[in-house]
Amino acid sequence: MTQPTNIADLLKRVLFRGAILILAVGVIGGVIGYLAVGLPGLFSALIGAAMALLFVSLTALSVLVGGKLNLGGFFAVVMGGWLLKIVIFLILVATLKGADFINGPTLFITLVASILGSLVLDTMAVTKARIPVVQG
Amino acid sequence: MDVTNIAEITGSLGVVGYGLAAIGPGVGVGLVVSKTIESIARQPELAARLQVTMWLGIAFTEALALIGLATPFIFGV
Repeated sequence: MTQPTNIADLLKRVLFRGAILILAVGVIGGVIGYLAVGLPGLFSALIGAAMALLFVSLTALSVLVGGKLNLGGFFAVVMGGWLLKIVIFLILVATLKGADFINGPTLFITLVASILGSLVLDTMAVTKARIPVVQG
Repeated sequence: MDVTNIAEITGSLGVVGYGLAAIGPGVGVGLVVSKTIESIARQPELAARLQVTMWLGIAFTEALALIGLATPFIFGV
C-alpha cells in the first residue's frame, strides 16, 4: 500500500483507520459489557467508544483544517479545538456520571482502550508516512 | 485517643481531581505548541514535518487528560 506523502493524506488515513478501530473496540466492548452487566454495559461501551471517536478525531481534524490556514490560524484552530474539547468532555462526564443506564467501569475501560489503540495507530501511521522534509 | 481535625475539608474532592487532571496535560500541550512555534520560527521550511510531530505530541498528552477526566466513572465522587 502506498504511504501518504503529505499531511492531509496522512491525517485522512489516521481518521479513517481510527474510526474503524474505535468502532471495533465499541462492538467488542459492547458484547463483553452486555454479557457482564446487561444492557447498561452495552450502552456504556457504545457511549465510551463514541466519546473516544469524537475526541480523538477532533485533534486530527483540527490539524487537518488548521493546516490550510496561516500559522496564527493554525494554532488558533488547534488550541481552540483542544480547549473546547476538554470543556465538552467535562460537561459530558458530569452529565453521564450519575445516569442509571451507565456502567462506569465498562465506559472507562472502553474509552481507555479506544484512546490507547488509536495512539498506536497514529504512531504507526506517522512512522510509516513518507513526508518530505521540505514542502513547497 | 480522640482524633482532632485541625482543618476540616468539606465539599467535593472530585473537583480537585478535575483540576489536577487538567493542569498536567495543559502544561504539556503548552510546551509542545510553544516548542513547535519556536522551531517553525527557526526553520519555516520544516513547518509540515513539525506540524505532524506536534499533532502526535498533542495526541499523547491529551490521552492523559481524557483518561484523567474520565476517572469519575470508576472512582465515584
